[in-house]
Amino acid sequence: MTCSKKKNMKVSNSKYGVILSFPGLLIIIALVIFPVGTLFVTSFLRYTSFPPIRFIGFRNYLYIFNDRLFWVALKNTTVYAAGVTFFTFVGGLVIALLLSKVSKGSGFLRSLSMFPWAVPLVISGFIWKWIFNPNVGIFSDFLMKLGLISKPLPVFSDPNLAMIGCIVADAWVRIPFMCIFTLAGLESIPTELYDAARVDGADCFDCFRHITLPLTKRMIFIGLLITSMFTFRTIDVIFSMTEGGPARATYVLGYYIIDQLWTRVNFGTGSAAGVVTLLLILSFAGFYVYLIFKKE
Amino acid sequence: MSTLFSRRNKKLKLKIRSIRKVIAFVLERPITSYILLIVVLFFMLSPIIFTAFTSFKTRAETFQWPPTYFPHKPTLQAYEEVIFRSPLPRHLLNSLIISLGTTGIVMLGGLFTAYGLSQYQYKGSGVVLLLFISTRIIPPISLLVPFYIIMSWFGLINTYTCLIILNTFLCYPLAVWMLKGFFDVFPKDLIDSAIVDGCSRTGAFLKIVVPVSAIGIAAVAIITFLWTWNEFLYAMIFTNTRNVQPVTVGAHYFVGDELVQWDSIAATAMFTAVPGLIFFSIAQKAIVKGLTAGAVKG
Repeated sequence: MTCSKKKNMKVSNSKYGVILSFPGLLIIIALVIFPVGTLFVTSFLRYTSFPPIRFIGFRNYLYIFNDRLFWVALKNTTVYAAGVTFFTFVGGLVIALLLSKVSKGSGFLRSLSMFPWAVPLVISGFIWKWIFNPNVGIFSDFLMKLGLISKPLPVFSDPNLAMIGCIVADAWVRIPFMCIFTLAGLESIPTELYDAARVDGADCFDCFRHITLPLTKRMIFIGLLITSMFTFRTIDVIFSMTEGGPARATYVLGYYIIDQLWTRVNFGTGSAAGVVTLLLILSFAGFYVYLIFKKE
Repeated sequence: MSTLFSRRNKKLKLKIRSIRKVIAFVLERPITSYILLIVVLFFMLSPIIFTAFTSFKTRAETFQWPPTYFPHKPTLQAYEEVIFRSPLPRHLLNSLIISLGTTGIVMLGGLFTAYGLSQYQYKGSGVVLLLFISTRIIPPISLLVPFYIIMSWFGLINTYTCLIILNTFLCYPLAVWMLKGFFDVFPKDLIDSAIVDGCSRTGAFLKIVVPVSAIGIAAVAIITFLWTWNEFLYAMIFTNTRNVQPVTVGAHYFVGDELVQWDSIAATAMFTAVPGLIFFSIAQKAIVKGLTAGAVKG
């Protein structure tokens, strides 16, 4: 102990900080900067399972931009991310609003509402695959019992329904996160504001529109950005639900990259597709980082 | 004509206002919130509930139409099958090894990094912090190919080490970000007085800061464990044998080309979701705090 004390006295506080964060820096360099560098370099190479490996400029990019499948994947990913974000937003907001109104037993109810977050996305895909299954699932049966439909919905053979099914399964896992995020925003609003509004004769709609919404706007917005960013790149649910089908209706960018790696075994085009995905998400993210740092 | 229209319009407005009053009155009762919340939560949790029920059905019952909501003759057949006649226990063990390994490395490195970034700022520590956040933004899927190339170089494809490294890449920046959130609000006087009393800086950190913020640290550890446990993409690409594949990949064992064994899938789903559900029941508050402090994961 005394030895380490002497040693510590020698280095200044700022140097001590550098020493402390050194392992983190090492990990960042080894696991982030190096692979990202490799990604950019490989995207300009002719790199398949057959030699030679050589520089071919932008030809990989040209290939994927001329690939019809890439555009299909991009379109599907956009629809998918937008759909999941929408469902997550609505679900998260509704549950957060209700939770904020409840006082007795709120801890227990909060735990319950968080449960889906703990379910792996792949498993969520399986669960919803069973629920939506037209032959054995309870979803069609439930709607038929309510008299809304006359025969089971063919969720996985209809392109649009398959997409909606995947969106629901994905959003289900993400709603709790959005919910706690919104709730954190709701709880930062001082109650005096509501009391004052009440005295002025405002009802709950007025309060929502003029107090709740403006004050939680930033929190909700960040939550939405995160959700859309994360949905833009997942394939877990789709992998266990539809595997990109039917007729590539749920074929997303992640699948496109995996196809480059597995089916075509072309590291060059795979990297190029990776770079494009990275740049697309960076444009979302720049906005997000800007919002975080604006606060500080 | 126009007066008739405006009168009608006025009537309509009055009607809307009175309807709005009624709805507002109903919505403002506390009991309404409870009822609505219970209905919404029922629908949110019904996938888990009915999966749990399905795991107790016989296989014949899972193929019935119309489907049953509750098992008629509850059995443990599916669990027996999953535990004794399938590779699932092996996958669960793999998941456990990978998750514990990742959590250990991430926490060990993350604690010091976060503390350094939070308490001992230096020239350029802001840039380092920005680097950490931007790491989270890189989509894991776009790094599939470079990681594949790098892992093949080192001959690490299909090993625990490979998955632990990749999961460290996924979790480390966020763990640092969340831990920094906890250390930022730590009372500085406490550290200073410990140092005045003759404690070294490292000693103050290990003896004072870590024990006091133990709950927050535990929350971050739990979150790291769960993310690693739930991770699928890298596990699927970088492993190909049962000896290494974690449970998220192994669950596909019950999905055949033509037949899906729904009862076994349901039992697998229960096993896979259990760690998360247990952690949540115990440490919900701490986890929520950690997530909102980090606020970077969807």
